[in-house]
Amino acid sequence: MKINRIGAPLAVATIAAMALVGCTTTDPGEEPPASTGGTITVAEVNELTAFTSSTSDTNLDMNGKFIGYTRSSFFYLDEALNLIPDTSFGTVEKTSDEPLTVKYTLADTASWSDGTAITANDLLLAWAAQSGYFDDASLDPETGEVASGTRYFDYAGDTSGLGLADRPVVGDNNMSITLTYSEPYADWQLVNPIDAPLHVVADKAGVSVEDAVDALTTAPRGDAANPNENATIKALADTWNTVFTATSLPSDSSLYLSSAAFVLDSWTPKQSITLVRNEAYKGDLVPNVDTIVVRFIGDAQAQVTALQNGEVDIINPQASADTIASLQALDGVTTLTGDQFSYDHLDITFNTGVFQNAPDVREAFLKTIPRQQILDAIVTPQNPEAQQYDSQIFFPGTAGYEETIKSNGADAYHEVDIEGAKALLNGATPTVRILYNINNPNRVAAFQAIQASAQQAGFVIEDAGAENWGSLLGSGTYDASIFGWISSGVGVGGVPQIFGTTGGGNYSGYSNAEVDRLANLLQVTLDKDEQDAIQVEIDKLLWADGYGVPLFVAPGVMAHSDSVSGVVYYPGQAGVGWNFWEWTKS
Amino acid sequence: MVSFIARRLVVSVLLIIGAAFIMYVLTSLAGDPLEEFYQSRLPNREQLMAQRIERLQLNVPVALRFFLWLGGAAKCLIPFADACDLGLTVQGQPVTELLPQAMGATLQLVTAATVLAIIIGITVGIVSALRQYTTFDVFVTFLSFLLYSLPSFWVGVLLKEFVAIGFNNFLRDPVIPIPWVIAIAVGTGLLWVGLIGGDMRRRLTVFGVSTLATAAVLVYFNLSNWFITPALGPVVVLVMSAGIGLVMVALLAGIRNRRALLTAGISVAITFVVYFLVQPLLNISSLYTLMILAAATLVVGLLTGFFVGGPDRGQMMRIGAFTAVLSAGLILVDRYMRAWPTYMGLSSIRGRPIATVGAETPNLVGDIWVQGVDSFTHLLLPTLTLMLISFAAYTRYARAGMLDVLNQDYIRTARAKGMPERVVIVRHAFRNSLIPIATIVAADFGALLGGAIITEQVFAFSGMGAMFQRGLSLPDPNPVMGYFIVIAVMAILFNLIADLTYSALDPRVRTR
Repeated sequence: MKINRIGAPLAVATIAAMALVGCTTTDPGEEPPASTGGTITVAEVNELTAFTSSTSDTNLDMNGKFIGYTRSSFFYLDEALNLIPDTSFGTVEKTSDEPLTVKYTLADTASWSDGTAITANDLLLAWAAQSGYFDDASLDPETGEVASGTRYFDYAGDTSGLGLADRPVVGDNNMSITLTYSEPYADWQLVNPIDAPLHVVADKAGVSVEDAVDALTTAPRGDAANPNENATIKALADTWNTVFTATSLPSDSSLYLSSAAFVLDSWTPKQSITLVRNEAYKGDLVPNVDTIVVRFIGDAQAQVTALQNGEVDIINPQASADTIASLQALDGVTTLTGDQFSYDHLDITFNTGVFQNAPDVREAFLKTIPRQQILDAIVTPQNPEAQQYDSQIFFPGTAGYEETIKSNGADAYHEVDIEGAKALLNGATPTVRILYNINNPNRVAAFQAIQASAQQAGFVIEDAGAENWGSLLGSGTYDASIFGWISSGVGVGGVPQIFGTTGGGNYSGYSNAEVDRLANLLQVTLDKDEQDAIQVEIDKLLWADGYGVPLFVAPGVMAHSDSVSGVVYYPGQAGVGWNFWEWTKS
Repeated sequence: MVSFIARRLVVSVLLIIGAAFIMYVLTSLAGDPLEEFYQSRLPNREQLMAQRIERLQLNVPVALRFFLWLGGAAKCLIPFADACDLGLTVQGQPVTELLPQAMGATLQLVTAATVLAIIIGITVGIVSALRQYTTFDVFVTFLSFLLYSLPSFWVGVLLKEFVAIGFNNFLRDPVIPIPWVIAIAVGTGLLWVGLIGGDMRRRLTVFGVSTLATAAVLVYFNLSNWFITPALGPVVVLVMSAGIGLVMVALLAGIRNRRALLTAGISVAITFVVYFLVQPLLNISSLYTLMILAAATLVVGLLTGFFVGGPDRGQMMRIGAFTAVLSAGLILVDRYMRAWPTYMGLSSIRGRPIATVGAETPNLVGDIWVQGVDSFTHLLLPTLTLMLISFAAYTRYARAGMLDVLNQDYIRTARAKGMPERVVIVRHAFRNSLIPIATIVAADFGALLGGAIITEQVFAFSGMGAMFQRGLSLPDPNPVMGYFIVIAVMAILFNLIADLTYSALDPRVRTR
């Protein structure tokens, strides 16, 4: 009893003291010395969802930006959409026009961050994914689902171009591949046959590298009539499709190998990722800063305050006029505004309704569109230098755009011409049903401006706006539509899609034999200047036919603290990080 | 009781399935998941559409799709099988992986705010009920309605502007201007007058003392560069823990109770000695060390009460424990304050400690104290935002509940039989006034995981609210349903808990 009263507390106290001492930590030490280049923190809207952006599930802006920081390519696009080759990764060489033959040679400096050299094996994997060479699936025309056979790689891009090429010939000691196309392919320059590391994909798929290469170099081209599944390629493709998706930093670092100047170091889910110098990188695009931290901040205003408070150095928000106003009020911050690769436009329906076979009515209607007024109301507050967008094909700031606006006749629609429209209508009062997205305030504003203006010329405007406008496109239930096009800004593959008689994106029922001919010619034209010349001609025909009018290019904004230099506005998906190696921090 | 719970659970399951069906259908119909492709100029847009149709099974009618989802979700009920399948998001990420992350972010964001709002709200509400129709009561009523009606995105932005950016700028030259010193001191003085009340002479004394004391403290802050090198120091810790001891004695036992004073005094004395002894240990502490220390503090407090207690053992143990734990909390606060200069000096902080976004500074290097300060600087603004808005409701409930109880006959009886006012309020009135509040508190804890969609967005916490909102805007039903299942289960569970608590607290209520 006596022992218990003293002994028990004593025992408890001893155990507690031991636990207490056992649970202490050592001093974590000083902060590592500030290295020479410093750290730049970038705010991005969305979080990373995968260490790839090539599959249809993962083809999102932040994944693409991550790939931009951590993967080298044969080329990159500058702010005016020029292709800039990166010869420290590899060279692209067109060795023949007839048939089109392109040789990709890797530089001996190209390597993955685990030390493995990048070889033609990796190029073969990328080619297999991007070409759909092995696919033998036939689709059910009703549902679009696979009815028989296999679609191996769930590639997000278009496989029809690279699909024209035969199996690549490997050469130069396994350091080059040569592609020979069966037909000329206009966008051959945009082919970038490098993706995930083959040795990682093979490892995760449980296939040896030798077997994988063997399958890729010997399996026959897929034949939808006689589907025949190749187990090795199926295993590689299934792995390629899914293994790089992540919600946090995987314990296996081979899933996020780098071939560029930065490599992923840490990922705090929902908060940030940290990229540090890739010690194995031997290429030319060497950054000045040592660390890039990307923080995920969805709200535009929150990005602005974080920039103001010094928590981030560069922001890249989904901006509104308010964002620009609050950015411009800040000291020590540089605001960059410009265009994005998407634009709103008004299209006319050619195959049904009031505009069918009625060029005068089309012209009269287009004359009433208050383009400047819509631009001033929606875009000018965000981008004071915005001008009317005058091409159906080229984006402002490109060489082709400057060329086409000289001759395409768009300037005839710069000013509203009510009298001219009345004269063309000659007393008629046609009814025009306009389809637009009633949940998009910009489209509603555009519709109201158009309605007010067109009514003055005698048009009766019917509001055909709908929430499910997307599924109504091409249904013939409207005479004109207001919606947006989103484009990658490069390549000519989209032209026949939209303006060709049978194109999948031709909702207008537009059909012009000359445009079809030129669009088909465009697809087999290899030279950039010739492509531009053909597109200028198409643009001219579209304006002459009264295809419709572009309303405005969506404005974009980036901003950076003055302690950072080298940030250049970029209109495309690569976003603000497109030239990260030029950034410096003072 | 058992049959009551069983019946409730069975009904709840049916309820969840029904509600889930409605939710699923509504989400699926909330928009067109193909919308982005209609606008695409990519050559392979048709193929991308087909892929999305396949991924979201858009060819299957919505009602059937729900049962496909339910089939996967039902596997979550199999214990230990780890077969839970809440589907994938459009990006191919499993919802079961995203949910814990989102719940973590949300809990981080709202827990402190909810707890603080409950404690402060109930305290202020009760005090204002005791001071009914005084200036203080009117002021609190006005303030609570004002805060209650403020939109959270606006409060959040204001706080960022003034508490974060303004305060960070102030830290460059941390001297409070004299006019501000006067204004803050007078304001504090008025607040104390309102709280304590009394006749004119007492009011004037209270006003004079508190105004001068506040002004003195502020001037001290200015002179000692306190905002750069804050600390409480042993003297302030001693004075404040003595204050805590006195308040505990006054509330729980009455200020004339010698034993109670002795208990509190011993606890305070021990704390003061420990303050010096424990510093070297704190420097190398981990979270577990702190937990053990907290437990030890509680035990010491209880033991003090136990040995001094005599006939009132239980009461004394309570006083001892409360005094010891709260005073030890001061030591902790003091230690955190001492980490402030280190934190400010870190290159990643750049001398601007109060953050406007996120939950932590990326790649922060530092011990547990620096990490703690980092969490504090990040959670300060969102917690304030949520607290300011939700504390108002608790104030109103607590005030109304307290007034209701104070007008009951048994309170009059208690006063009539000569009980001290302290006992009447603390024992008879306060406890009973908490019964209705228990229901509200339970419901609010149930709603914790629902997230605060707007506050999350303003402060870039990607929690449950963000998950719901993103899923809904595409629309992508799987993450929305993951969110829904969590909050539905929480709501039903906490309602059940509320009912059970009710019957435990109030003997008049029986559950059958």
